[in-house]
Amino acid sequence: MRYNKIILLLCIFFTGRLFAQEPAADTTDLMAQLENEASDKDATNYTSATFKTTRLVNGHTVENAAKGVLDVKISHRFGTVNKGAYELFGLDNATMRMGLDYGVSKRMMVGFGRSTFQKTYDAFVKYKLLRQSSGKRKMPVTVSYVGTIALMGMRWADTSRKNYFSSRLSYTHQLIIGSKLSEGISLQLMPTFIHRNLATLADEPNDLYAVGAGGRFKLTKRLSFNAEYYYQIPGYKVEGTTNPLSLGFDIETGGHVFQLHFTNSTGMTERNFISGTTGKWEKGDVLFGFNISRVFTIGKNR
Amino acid sequence: MLVAAAPVTVYKVNKGSIAFNSDAPMELIKASSNELAGLFDASTKKFAFRVKVSSFEGFNTALQKEHFNENYMESNSFPYASFEGKVIEDIDYSKPGVYNVRAKGNFTVHGVSQERIIKVEITAKPQTVSVRSSFTVLLADHNITIPKVVHEKLASEIKVDIKAELATQ
Repeated sequence: MRYNKIILLLCIFFTGRLFAQEPAADTTDLMAQLENEASDKDATNYTSATFKTTRLVNGHTVENAAKGVLDVKISHRFGTVNKGAYELFGLDNATMRMGLDYGVSKRMMVGFGRSTFQKTYDAFVKYKLLRQSSGKRKMPVTVSYVGTIALMGMRWADTSRKNYFSSRLSYTHQLIIGSKLSEGISLQLMPTFIHRNLATLADEPNDLYAVGAGGRFKLTKRLSFNAEYYYQIPGYKVEGTTNPLSLGFDIETGGHVFQLHFTNSTGMTERNFISGTTGKWEKGDVLFGFNISRVFTIGKNR
Repeated sequence: MLVAAAPVTVYKVNKGSIAFNSDAPMELIKASSNELAGLFDASTKKFAFRVKVSSFEGFNTALQKEHFNENYMESNSFPYASFEGKVIEDIDYSKPGVYNVRAKGNFTVHGVSQERIIKVEITAKPQTVSVRSSFTVLLADHNITIPKVVHEKLASEIKVDIKAELATQ
């Protein structure tokens, strides 16, 4: 204790002499001192808001609903715009998905939904394996796993044969590797595996592979441009399907996020839009669509 | 030589908290941080305080906290809010007592500095001082704009309360 005081006095003595010539520098010194002290105990800063919401257009982003937050999602896709004025450029037709997502913990989110497209029910679990961070612990990417199970709810077309319940099911496993490169730009890669218990034709594969890529580009604080594309691996795709490409905007107003987009996919569950898209952009098989997300805090805040 | 004879006069914040509230017609938002750091040199009367913007907790929803950091404070670009300057009054803090002083300096939020004089109550005890202060901050002074849709939910003037215990080291 006494030694400490002596050392301190010595320090003051010497620094006092050092700075005696230039007392004007003192104010900045206090702030500089604060900065020096803070840097060593600086905590890890986890990146937040890589994307505005949990979906890019059709597929998932690395984002989760916060713990205790219920996210109600209503998604609409109209008909293709090339139907012309008679169908009001597709607006006469609509498919929709109603969904509920819930943040179970900081890292885990679950959700389910029902689409009018093939009367599909879907449920998923999404878990953040790695979180992008800076500071003490540095991690360049956020990695999430998404597992989805989908149930096709339509009555069987062919009732003369034996139809199994399991034939209605398909499974999707995705890794979502995303990074917020800057305030304005976030990118992600989505390697995807889809298993269908029942393929439409006997020579079609049951296991399908695809790699997705997407990103968002902030135009203003509350408006961003999004792009999403899935490349189906040749040989592991359904013949006659096209790769889904979606372009759109996220508009944020308080607790809502509105997503307006153009896409060539009608389906909104992974199996349907990644491996079941038939629309071709170059032929004008493009649909206008929107997602509305509204969050409600239902769990305990902290 | 002169300095060596003087007692240790630099006080450091051991426990500091800062709280703010936005009292708008449609919504009351409260948040606080316990990560207020600061130094006060009683001999030169100079001080420096700062807080990490992303350390504020509270808010009504998780999304609100995200918006606070992303859209309003832009805490990635401006990670700290700070106040540094000099106390106007000459006070002998070695004498225990309660002193009302004015702190004058640069108050920086969202990367925009304003010269402010803020009233502070300082309670001096042997080896320690505690400071308390309440003041308001106009968002417009710091280039923070409120979008029309949240006009009723976000006050243009934010009330700030500060409490800190400082001790010599």
